[in-house]
Amino acid sequence: MIDYRARFRSNLAIAACGLAAFAVVPFVANSGLMFLAGLVAINIVFGMSWNLLFSGAGLLSFGHAMFFGGGAYAMALVSLHWPGLPFLLGLAIGAGAGALIALVFGVIALRRASGVYFAVLTLVFSELIHLVITKTTFLGRNDGLVGIPRPTIETGLFTLDLTSATAYYYFIVVAMACAAFALWCFQNSPAGRLIQAIRQDNLRTAFLGTSIFGWQLTAFVLSGALAAFCGAVMVPFTQIASPEIAYWTVSTQPILFTLLGGAGNFWGPAVGAILFGAIDYGTRAMHGLSEITVGTLLLLVVLLIPGGLLGFLQHRRQKKRRKPTEPAPKRTEAQP
Amino acid sequence: MTAILEARGLTKAYGSVRVLEDVDFDLQDGEAHVVIGPNGAGKTTLFRCLSGETRINGGTIRFAGEDVSGLTGAQRVKRGIGRTFQVARIFPSMSAFENLIVAIETRERTHQGLRFTFGYIAPRRAVVAEAERLVTELGLEDTVDDVAGTLSHGDKKRLELAMCLALKPRLLMLDEPTAGMSPSDRAEAVRLITRVRDSYGLSLLLTEHDMEVVFGLATRLTVLHHGEIIASGQPEAVRADPRVREVYLGQH
Ligand SMILES: Nc1ncnc2c1ncn2[C@@H]1O[C@H](COP(=O)(O)OP(=O)(O)OP(=O)(O)O)[C@@H](O)[C@H]1O
Ligand SMILES: [Mg+2]
Repeated sequence: MIDYRARFRSNLAIAACGLAAFAVVPFVANSGLMFLAGLVAINIVFGMSWNLLFSGAGLLSFGHAMFFGGGAYAMALVSLHWPGLPFLLGLAIGAGAGALIALVFGVIALRRASGVYFAVLTLVFSELIHLVITKTTFLGRNDGLVGIPRPTIETGLFTLDLTSATAYYYFIVVAMACAAFALWCFQNSPAGRLIQAIRQDNLRTAFLGTSIFGWQLTAFVLSGALAAFCGAVMVPFTQIASPEIAYWTVSTQPILFTLLGGAGNFWGPAVGAILFGAIDYGTRAMHGLSEITVGTLLLLVVLLIPGGLLGFLQHRRQKKRRKPTEPAPKRTEAQP
Repeated sequence: MTAILEARGLTKAYGSVRVLEDVDFDLQDGEAHVVIGPNGAGKTTLFRCLSGETRINGGTIRFAGEDVSGLTGAQRVKRGIGRTFQVARIFPSMSAFENLIVAIETRERTHQGLRFTFGYIAPRRAVVAEAERLVTELGLEDTVDDVAGTLSHGDKKRLELAMCLALKPRLLMLDEPTAGMSPSDRAEAVRLITRVRDSYGLSLLLTEHDMEVVFGLATRLTVLHHGEIIASGQPEAVRADPRVREVYLGQH
């Protein structure tokens, strides 16, 4: 029998350690490194939103940039044209934009395509959105939307001034922690289990009396909303929404994070995103080295440890713990 | 007795191959109706049509007085039709216990609202207790914590049966419940099925190749051959039917 509460506590402990690490960054690092850490925090949840689909629902997305970019542009538009709007409401609109894109696309594509065909459709749709952005004057065409202000939040009791980069950095960390917490709760709820079940055997799930389409769409919309939330939170940090954030290269990012860190683990995308950030930082002086390093590493991971770094560590720990006489448990792989 | 399930003029073709041809089929409330027939006779196809896994090309299916021909499989499950598969379908990467949890939670989800999606970080106590009851009832104690994909054929079948029972069906359809079992496991499975049939007040529809199992369970027997019903009635009467002996039993 699984001890669910113990699992919750240990995950909370991991989250607390991670939060503490992010909290000390502004004290020990320069502003450049803090900026990178802020982006890594966003990338962690962006990666998790992708993995909600991949490991959770068994859906492959090659077009997560459409949500990330959608959320970012929605946020940029709201801040530029509607300055009086409460900031948190702006974030909600950003997330809502992602949910809407996911809903429209999901309704069209989920019933018609699956597997890699579905993935290619996400890519095509995402590229379409990128194209629309670069051709729309309202959205700044190739220049993007610049000069996005950082907010102040009126709580009624006190005013939270997030106009400095450091203050906004802390806001990012808190916002991403909340988002990750909500995601964890979802994935460990009955609905999360049900979505997992659909991935493992969709016919069995249908004959438990539930709509496969409905739950896959739910997962897709949640994933889109979460990715868009990440984009929306990023925009005031970088103060620009440029078409690159809706480009297909952005769609590859959460895939890289997840595969590097390990898709089978909730924290896999986090490990991947941090590693990715570290490589980016370590090779910042040499143009192109970052791509080569990441590419090589990914190749090694995929070929040698397909479970990603966390999968590898977990496997080794299990091996050590097992008594030599016991047979290894058969590794089962879910059918797609 | 009244018919709980009635199929009229059921026709099913895969492409140009007609697998079921104008089949009339009744299942009375409370009976254990076994469908037999040689390999490829169309038993599984009949199951798939009745359960809603596949669309029929002609005919109607009524369940408890309602025309369910146009309903999806999931909708028919909600009306009270549970089914297992010829090759047991379970969630292979979850533990056996979690398989049961998922089945129970899925049945209950409509009463849960948003709590179903964010409300709990662990299954509710009542759900766990119900799963534990099912474990004892079906004798799954030794395997509850195993990863379901690593279970033996027989244990997978029992787990799948437990998942279906968790849905509290009125009619349970079992496609070859003892396939791949040893003779002693078969006898045990017959006892188990008889017991749950009584305690849950189920109507049963089964297919089966093993004659011990067939005559151990059947209150009614139907023989399917090349997609047509060639005999149906009391098991002993069907066994004596010369045509059945010729096309089916005679081969064994
Ligand atoms: N999806 C399909 N596409 C095409 N033909 C099919 C399909 N499924 C079944 N058939 C054909 O329909 C016929 C009946 O198959 P079915 O699986 O219903 O037989 P069965 O009575 O269950 O046999 P068994 O005892 O081997 O399980 C077979 O000739 C089979 O080849
Ligand atoms: Mg069959």
